[in-house]
This record gives sequence, structure tokens and C-alpha cells, in this order.
Amino acid sequence: MMKVFLKKLSVLGLLFLGLTCILSFASLHVLRGSGFYKSSFLVNQVPEDRFDYIVIGASDALTTLNTKTIDSMLSVEGVNLAMDDTSFPSHYLMLQHFLSEGKQTKYCVLAASYSAFDFEGAPLSNNDYRFLMYGNRAYVSDYYKQFSGKTANILYYSKWLPVLGVSYYNTEIFYPSLISIVNSNKRNRFDDKGNYTYPVINKPSRMIDFKTAEVAFKNAYVQKIKALCDKNNIKLLCYITPSDSKNAIPKSVDFDIINHSNAVNDHKYFYDETHVNSIGREICSIAFAKNIVQQGIDLKNR
Amino acid sequence: MLFNSIDFAVFLPLVFLVYWCLQRHLKSQNTFLVLASYIFYGWWDWRFLSLILFSTVVDYTIGLRLKSQDGLKQRKALLWTSIIVNIGLLMFFKYFNFFVDSFVTAFTFFGVDIQARTLDIILPVGISFYTFQTLSYTIDVYKGKLKPTTDFIQFAAFVSFFPQLVAGPIERAKHLLPQFEIKRQFDSTYAMSGIYLIIWGLFKKMVIADNCAFFVNQIFENSAHFSSLELFLGAVLFGLQIYGDFSGYSDIAIGVARLFGFSLMVNFSFPYFSRNIAEFWRRWHISLSTWFRDYIYIPLGGSRGKRAYQIRNVLIVFLVSGFWHGANWTFIAWGAIHALLFLPLLIFKRNRTYVETFKINMSQVPRILLTFVVVTIAWVFFRADSIQHASNFILDMLSFNGITIDVFYKTAKSQLFALMILTSVLVMFWLEWSSVQKENKEVILSPYKAIFIAILITFMGVFKNPSDFIYFQF
Repeated sequence: MMKVFLKKLSVLGLLFLGLTCILSFASLHVLRGSGFYKSSFLVNQVPEDRFDYIVIGASDALTTLNTKTIDSMLSVEGVNLAMDDTSFPSHYLMLQHFLSEGKQTKYCVLAASYSAFDFEGAPLSNNDYRFLMYGNRAYVSDYYKQFSGKTANILYYSKWLPVLGVSYYNTEIFYPSLISIVNSNKRNRFDDKGNYTYPVINKPSRMIDFKTAEVAFKNAYVQKIKALCDKNNIKLLCYITPSDSKNAIPKSVDFDIINHSNAVNDHKYFYDETHVNSIGREICSIAFAKNIVQQGIDLKNR
Repeated sequence: MLFNSIDFAVFLPLVFLVYWCLQRHLKSQNTFLVLASYIFYGWWDWRFLSLILFSTVVDYTIGLRLKSQDGLKQRKALLWTSIIVNIGLLMFFKYFNFFVDSFVTAFTFFGVDIQARTLDIILPVGISFYTFQTLSYTIDVYKGKLKPTTDFIQFAAFVSFFPQLVAGPIERAKHLLPQFEIKRQFDSTYAMSGIYLIIWGLFKKMVIADNCAFFVNQIFENSAHFSSLELFLGAVLFGLQIYGDFSGYSDIAIGVARLFGFSLMVNFSFPYFSRNIAEFWRRWHISLSTWFRDYIYIPLGGSRGKRAYQIRNVLIVFLVSGFWHGANWTFIAWGAIHALLFLPLLIFKRNRTYVETFKINMSQVPRILLTFVVVTIAWVFFRADSIQHASNFILDMLSFNGITIDVFYKTAKSQLFALMILTSVLVMFWLEWSSVQKENKEVILSPYKAIFIAILITFMGVFKNPSDFIYFQF
């Protein structure tokens, strides 16, 4: 009787596993061919191979530097590869992903808040599943492997059993893949240059009383990103994003820095504590282009 | 250990294999079940294992003493000892702070300012369930309906049987205890029916309940900001959430028990197809409602005697049932509302109208919908933080101040969740409707349907941040 049960259960289990693996594989395949997330957007919707600069970072990078404004002011070519809800290890992974696609850039702008540059932890980020469709690539697989815990294991083992990651992140992976079947050009809240902006929500005007905060660039990934840049003849430019409370004082380092921690001095240009709205973004992007010229940085890669 | 956790996915096959390897040795099999059950419970908090053990020892000893004791006085004293110990534990862990707070509020209301201390008490998971289960044993032994067991391991296995330990079904000793006394034979068809029931329970929990929670939490936590229609739909979704959550747990428990050769009682029998409140209570949390019927309602006189006594008995049972669910006035109000909905049926002798007719005619659909709406409104008290919150919620809902349903489509995520809920609820009601029409007491899945449901769980279930089972807090 037990044998009959185990046989029935195995048949049922294998059928289930087979069907869900096919669906999961198809789901990842569709996403790999889409521009829904930044990882596949870079592969499928960014035809250029040679850039003057790229922006990597988290949501504050995504919403502070408008590459379209910078490009038009400086006549350069850039793309914003920042992803919300990520941290420095993910930025490193994005740079690896960029390079693995055979693309080149003269400058890599690592944009982050003053506190992120000093953050000494290196956690798996909430949105790291966005590289799941490239889970078979060594740098992505190694990336997932370096973390411990349930989520990291699910992401890592998905290269053999894709249903693990696709079911765990079903709302983030499976349903976007269905959307991508209908519209493969659909992007997840960013434009054709990778930028996104927060709306103006009519906050009352109030000047910010900045307190100073020293930035020592203690985050180990800054050096890792620098090393990867050096290896590929890329110059690293650290950009400190606007803060609604702190004026960052960077310690001297061996890379270029643009410090915009106090560039936006009115609360009305902020959407929330760490993100500027669309007006704040234009202020920063214009100031960024001007700083590039003032500091004598030559972004042009040709 | 949660049924929808990786821990349990490892625990269950291991326990299953070892258990059936011990098939020839009943004593070893029962001992192993006790051990597995204690591990299952201790995974949450091992300190409270002592409470289960204490309750087990007390009721086992009292059962044996009742056997050897003929004097009515002594027997009564033994029965009351069991009641006081079990209800005392429940009162302390579950209701101590509620009583202290209520006394302070009452004194403050009358102008007397008193200082009272509440204690930082953790509610042991499942205490309401296993205390009722052990109590039923002692009461049945006292009444002579059941012979007390002389095997401590069997009794310990009955009290702590892990599939139903933390959230029921609340089994009667008469039904479950004898199953530990006989050798279990493995039956592949029966075990497969357990697997199908586990899949069905996981679907109700992980797809329906956990997806509904996405909107329910938003709407109940900021109810003042939503339109009347959104509030009503929020209440409907809570009704579906609690049904999916609790009946899902029961189905998994019954399914897991079947893997070990045990039969547990049906706890939910398609309650949202009830044609009146009386029928709802014959289909919802059956193990609890029949417990109250057998150990409170009937001893009080039941439906015998004068109409006034009948009404009193119904009121007592519903209020106690509400209070059993939690130490909050909202649960008592919920019980009272159900009593008020039930009483007209009792008075006009309509409370047993559908006892014999399980199958539903299409002409009865309006009654089903009406019952669903009143049950839904009552659920608001069950979910709300306070009576004030529930009252405001219902008043806003009935003020018809808007028919917008922005919450369900304001973001892509909301639209996705709304679509998943709609799809899964239609699947659930389709399968339940066909089961009712076939007069089945549970949804019986074919292998193909089981695979289909398992695929739905895979791609629609909540895996990342699943909610705890709601009934764990009771």
C-alpha cells in the first residue's frame, strides 16, 4: 500500500514539478527578452555600446540625476542604471552586468546618499531578484551565493530549479512576464534612458537647516567598485545625493566627488526625506552638468 | 511550526517515514507521535510544552480517579478540579489583562481612579483548543460516556496530536482517543485523499486568505479614508480571508492526520452557502459549535423548557463563543450579533429548517446572499480593534458616501492582487458549489484538479511575507 502511495505521489509531484518548471522557465525567458527591469532593459533596449557615463545606485540615484538633461547640456551620452531598493553590492553587480554585455563607458557615476557611502553592511537587497533571469551567468550566481539565508538560497538555487524563484517572487516575476508577452517594450517605472521622477506634491516652502556629517567612504563596496572600474579603464565619480537634513563633508579620496547633499535647500523640492521631486531633480541635474564643467571633468568618451 | 513553512515541509515527510516504519509497534508509534508533536509545538516556544504536559497529567490522573471513585461528591470534586485547572490556565494566559483593564475602565467610568498593573503575558499558541479538548475528555468520563484510558502515552498523544494541536479541529475524546488504541493500517487511497486536502487547504490559506490580507489590512487600518463600497468590500474580503485562513488550516490538519491513518472531524462545511444563520453555525467551525452545544447549551437545558430559558441559553452560548475567540469586547459584540440574528429563527422555529437538506436550489441563492451579507457585517466586529472602530466602520459603510473602488486599482500591484483574488475566489466557489451539489462534506479533488490547484498556489500564493494563521491568536 505504501508503495502505491509513493508511486502516486511521485507521479503527481513530477507532473507538478514539470509543469511549473516549464512555466517558470518560460516566464524567465520572456523577461530576459523584455525591457521590464533594468537588467534586461540594458540588454534589449539600450543599443549603444559606448557611453560617456553611466549612473549606478539606488532609488535616490534613479530619481536625482536625469541623464536626458545632463546629455543635452554637455552633449554626451549617458544612461541611468540605478535600481530602487538596492544597496552597494547590487550596484557592483549592475556594473558587472554592464561590462558582461560588452559595453563601455568612460565614467561610472556611483550616486548614493552620504550615509550609504559610509554604510558598512553588505546585505542582499530586496530587488536583487531582478537579475534572476540571468541566474545562470557566473557573476550573478556568485553574487547570490555570497549571501546566506532563505531568500539568497532561493535565488541561488533557481538556476537549477527556476520554479523556486519564480514562485517566491511570483508577483514580481511571473506577472511582469505575462505583461511582457503582451508588450515587450513595457518598462517598470523608468524612461528610455532609465530615469524616473517623483511628482511635485505641493509641500510648503521651508528652508532646510543643514547639520554637517562627515563622509569617510567606509563602505567596502566603494573600493570594490573602484577596483572594477580601474580594471576596465573606467573613471569612478562619486555623487552624494541631496539630503533634507545633512550637509556632507567628504574626506579626501582618490576619486572625483560631486557633493550635492545640500544642493537642494528647500523642503518643497523633496518628495520625501531622501528623494527629490521632479523640480529638485532638474535642479540637481543642471547643477551636476555645471559641476562637471567647473571641475574640468571630461566626460566625453570619443 | 507553521503548516506553510519550509520547516514543516521537512518535518512532515521525516515524521511520516519514521511513523510508518514503526507500524508493528503501536506503543512505539504513539510514543513517536507524542515526541513529534512536542517538537512541532516546541518549535514555536518550548517553554509552553510544560503547560501541555501539565494539562495532560492533570486530566489523565483525574480520568483514572473518576474510574475508581463512585461517590457523587468526590466525582463532582474531581470534575471541578479539571474545569478549574483548565479554565484557570486559559483565564490567566488569555484573559487576565482583559479583566484588569475592564475593571479599571469600569471604576474610572464611575469616577473612581484606581491604579492596576497588567502583566506581560504571552498567549501560548493553541491553549484555547487543547484545554477544550482535554476538558471534553474529563466531562465525558464523568458522565460515563467514555471509559478513561489507562495508557498515559495514548492520552498524551490525544492531547498533543500535532496536526490539530494549535488550531483544531477540537476533537472529542470519544472520536479521537480510540484511534490511538488500535493498530493503524496504511491505506494509500485514504492517504492520497489527505494529500488532496492539504493542497486544497494550502490554496485557501496561501492564495485566498493571504492575498485578501493585502486589501483588508489597508482598509481596516485606515477605514476613515475609504468609500462606503470600499468598506463593504473590505469586510467581504475579511470574511473570505478568515474563511480561507481557518478552514484552510483545518483542511491541512485533517489531511495531515489522514497521512498517519487518523480521521479528524469536518470543521467547515461550505459555510458561505448557508441559507440562514442557524445553518451557518452548523457549517462554520463545527468542532467548536458542537462543543458548546454538548457541554454548555444542552447542560443548560438546550431548547427544552420555557421560551425564556431557551433564549437565555442561546445568548449564553453565543456570548461565550465570542469571548472564547479573544479577550476583547469586539468578540463579545460579534457573538451577541450572531445571537440576535439566531434568536428570531429559534422563536419562529426556523432554526432547523435546512438540517436535512444539504443540497442547494438556485431559488435559494438570494437567501444565501442575504446570510452572507449579515455575516459579513458581523465580521467587522471580529476584525476591528475596538467597538468604537467597528461602529464607525459600519456607520461609514452604511452612509453610502461613495461608490469608488480606487483601492483596488490605484496601482498596478492593487490591480494584480484584485485580479488574483477574483480568480481564486471564483475557483474556490466553483469547486465548493459542485461539492455541495454532490452532497460531499469536503472538496474532493481529482489528481488533475489537484495539480491545477497546486499550480495556482505556485503562481498566486503568498510566499514572501505570509500572514500568520489568524486562529493562532485564539
